[in-house]
Amino acid sequence: MNERQYMKKQRLISVAAVIALAAGSAVAVAPASNAAAKTVTIAYQGPLTGEEAQVGIDELNGVKYAVKLFNAKNKGKFNVRIVEIDDQGSGTEAAKVAPGAASNKKILGIVGPAYSGATIASLPFYKQTNLPLISPSATRVSITDPAQGLIGFPVFHRIPVTDRVQGPALYKLATRGVSSPKVFVIDDQSPYGVGLVEYMKLGGATLAGQDSVPDKTTDWSATISKVKSASANVVIFTGYYAQAATLFRQLRDSGYTGVLAGGDGVLSPGILTLASASILEGVRLTGGTVPLAEISAKLEADFKAKMGVSSGTYAAESIDAANIFLSCISKGVNTRAAMLKCVKAYKGKSITGSALSFDKYGDTAGGVMNGFEIKGGAIKYTGAVK
Amino acid sequence: MLSNFQDQFASLTVGGLSLGFIYVLIALGYTMVYGVLRMINFANSEVFMYGTFATIIVIRDLFGFTQQSEPATGFRLVYILFLCLIASMLMSGILSIFLELVAYRRLRNRGSNKLAPLISAIGMSIVLAEFMRILTDSRYVGSPRVMEKKSLGTFFGAELRLDNVIIIVAGLILFVSLSQFVQRTRLGKAIRAVSMNEDAAKLMGVNLNFVVSGTFLVGGLMTGAAGFFYVLKYENTSFNIGFELGIAAFTAAILGGIGNIKGAFYGGIALGLLETYASFFLGTQWKAVTVFIVLVFVLYFRPNGVFGEAITQTRA
Amino acid sequence: MFNLRDWGAGVWERSGRPVRVLIALGAIAAAASLPLLGGTFLNTPIADYGSVLVFPVAIFVIMALGLNIVIGKSGLLDLGYVAFFAIGAYTMGILGTKTGLNSWEILPIGIAMAMFAGLILGVPALRLRGDYLAIITLGFGEIVRITALNLNSIGGANGIVGIPTPPTIFGLEYTFDNHRLYFWTFLIIILLTIWMIRRLSVRRAGRAWESIRQDEDAAELMGVPTFRYKIWAFVLGASVGGAAGVLYASKTLFISPDNFTLQVSILILACVVFGGMGNIWGVVLGAIILGYLPDRIRFISDARLLVFGAVLVLMMNLRPDGLLPRKKREKALPEKGQS
Repeated sequence: MNERQYMKKQRLISVAAVIALAAGSAVAVAPASNAAAKTVTIAYQGPLTGEEAQVGIDELNGVKYAVKLFNAKNKGKFNVRIVEIDDQGSGTEAAKVAPGAASNKKILGIVGPAYSGATIASLPFYKQTNLPLISPSATRVSITDPAQGLIGFPVFHRIPVTDRVQGPALYKLATRGVSSPKVFVIDDQSPYGVGLVEYMKLGGATLAGQDSVPDKTTDWSATISKVKSASANVVIFTGYYAQAATLFRQLRDSGYTGVLAGGDGVLSPGILTLASASILEGVRLTGGTVPLAEISAKLEADFKAKMGVSSGTYAAESIDAANIFLSCISKGVNTRAAMLKCVKAYKGKSITGSALSFDKYGDTAGGVMNGFEIKGGAIKYTGAVK
Repeated sequence: MLSNFQDQFASLTVGGLSLGFIYVLIALGYTMVYGVLRMINFANSEVFMYGTFATIIVIRDLFGFTQQSEPATGFRLVYILFLCLIASMLMSGILSIFLELVAYRRLRNRGSNKLAPLISAIGMSIVLAEFMRILTDSRYVGSPRVMEKKSLGTFFGAELRLDNVIIIVAGLILFVSLSQFVQRTRLGKAIRAVSMNEDAAKLMGVNLNFVVSGTFLVGGLMTGAAGFFYVLKYENTSFNIGFELGIAAFTAAILGGIGNIKGAFYGGIALGLLETYASFFLGTQWKAVTVFIVLVFVLYFRPNGVFGEAITQTRA
Repeated sequence: MFNLRDWGAGVWERSGRPVRVLIALGAIAAAASLPLLGGTFLNTPIADYGSVLVFPVAIFVIMALGLNIVIGKSGLLDLGYVAFFAIGAYTMGILGTKTGLNSWEILPIGIAMAMFAGLILGVPALRLRGDYLAIITLGFGEIVRITALNLNSIGGANGIVGIPTPPTIFGLEYTFDNHRLYFWTFLIIILLTIWMIRRLSVRRAGRAWESIRQDEDAAELMGVPTFRYKIWAFVLGASVGGAAGVLYASKTLFISPDNFTLQVSILILACVVFGGMGNIWGVVLGAIILGYLPDRIRFISDARLLVFGAVLVLMMNLRPDGLLPRKKREKALPEKGQS
């Protein structure tokens, strides 16, 4: 119930934000407490309405949390505001909203965009106006791959490690401890799912079989027949959690007893509401992200106290991304060019405790992929996949 | 691959059949309305989607099942399933009547062009789907398991799972009841009369508005039953499942000959099997393409679908 | 009831040539000044006003004009119009990134590709009537999208990145954020399309389409080669869709199969019917409103699609023939049990 009320409030806030934006002004998250404080604006871009809204709202909460701490700490010195840019996670929408953000000179940096497709569609505008980006969740390899035309260079940066790392890691985790593994991989035809399989293969995975299914598939009988005729004992799904739940259910119901695994698209508490604990028992998942509660229970408690809601997926990444901008702001950065330089040179620590800096093309240097397992109806952290 | 196919053929067939029966029931929603009004009831897909939610509400909220609960057994199970079926049929039936009143009636009475009701229906479909999206925060909604999916044995190598068997048997019963209803009852005869010749039927004293509402109700009831079966089989739903299933069911209705009850039956089953076999043979990513290519071939040789049009030909 | 369309047509017919030229120039000037009105109540919150005018508004107008030839003029229900749009866009995407050709050189190729696709689809599909045609065209739209999704050689799910902007002409530079220039260019193409359709509608083809729309059997009996004219309408509609695709791709510079879903076909169909099937000005108005509205009402945030749907229902019930319906005398009898 609490969550629902919170959601309502969220919506009111975003309505207010929209109206304020319409009037051409930025939105203050925390009211300016001191007139002498220097007001600096950063933005968050991601899906805040539409089908993918939950992802965006979770990330935005992470950014707000970081900014709240910063503003409290720097009372009287800085007052950081957040502009919310809603791209609905779609490239088509992003191409419409990005020009506005690019030309709003007050925005010094954007946490986001959340999704890779939206990122690619927005990038021309941000590159043109030299606006630095740090995405908490856009993991498509091509954005930072110099061999694919420098799509994101120089403005794009991201916290999570890419699917180039995740693909092989997922394969490794899924086959761990399985003697003579026969791996069957299913992707959901999204750029994410297809890419993950591609990099899994590039990483040297041997597959006993493969299927590619349209997203929104609910009937898996043909795929299950293929799994059985390949006599697979490891099934990896590279897609998102809602479909994973139906696939895993139907596989278990058909008598399949081998390993089930998925990538960070499946790594969401949402899956626990879609299938019973007994079906999900032992599902292995990878993700660059670490739930706040795994970092420390105190952090999660503080987040909940300050934001009124539990942290969601990519909370840690969103906080990290915001913190990089905030540390630059505290150094007195006040132009986009200076911000970009500062982000590129940033060397610091993630809230997970590991070192954080970017390489030339905007990827984090030396990121790790974490393993998770569903046990007794909860997602448990099982350590980095090495 | 071929020997694999033979091994898996029987189980693919059972899966395809139960999917096919879900298509049959939704296709009946399209075909009934088409038979009477010669109009694509585009929003039928959302009528289906609301049916799935009605089922989940009964399971989750009325009986308090959660993902961690034990499945029900024995008489209690039958009772719960029956209540779910009634709830989703009623939900969809009432929604369907409402839809006709809001989106079509005024246009029909004014004798508008053929596309205006289609756009009105598309508008209704957006409204209904968006309303549900806002209600569910864009999330998938899982259904707790009420019935253990145990195997009843094997049949030519195929496992007969309880949910698939229920869908096939109950689907068959519903279809036969509908045919009998259309053949024998007063309202059924009136529906056939309007479908054959609207003006003549009116002259013979048939109350047109009543018949149209009745048609929408019956179509909605069938579609709602499909919603229940869907949740029983797949155990989840979301605001956006209607669109794709609706398109598939509409394709099935066309394949068999839209407006024809028997056509919806064979079209639905053919489509369920075709999709399943094609997914296995050619890869799931080519499923939709295969379906449409087959459809083009069928319509090339039988331009009015396999069984032709007209609701009257249930005996043919 | 007051009929704006008939009133407008009346004014037009009563006026002499100079007045007509004035009216036309005034209308063009009004349209051309749209991108300059960003600061007024027309401005779209959140979404950038300039880019909204280019896409969806201008592109929707072009597509709706093309679809109107198929649906409005000749009465063929096409639910897969997005296929031609996709073919145009992919032609631009592939040729633009893999060869040195520029947008203006690719435009005729894209149009030709779309026309060819229209022919391939039309020959088997146009033997069918009404709703059978609808489902076949719908299937064709999906086939094109799914094929693009499954073929990795044309980007697969990732789509095509890095499509070039059109080359500079007359010293005008098409930078991707120069929305005004794009809008004015597209406006010229819209005007050309309107001119082409108007010329055609008063000639043999227009009369043939009209007769097919009203009663296909009668037309056939009167000696109109209906099949040939239906193909002709279909291919012509496809060509406009293909042109829209090329233009779209050279504006967004990034296309993926997600841009070409069935929803696009349905939305364009809604533009045509909402505005007034068969009447060019109605269709243009419908496309402008339905393209613009969702971004204008973004301030209602989450509920905006809901409102959009409700507007569709309400408007169709109040004005079933669209905002600006075709002339009364052109109206066909209510279609009932035609098959």
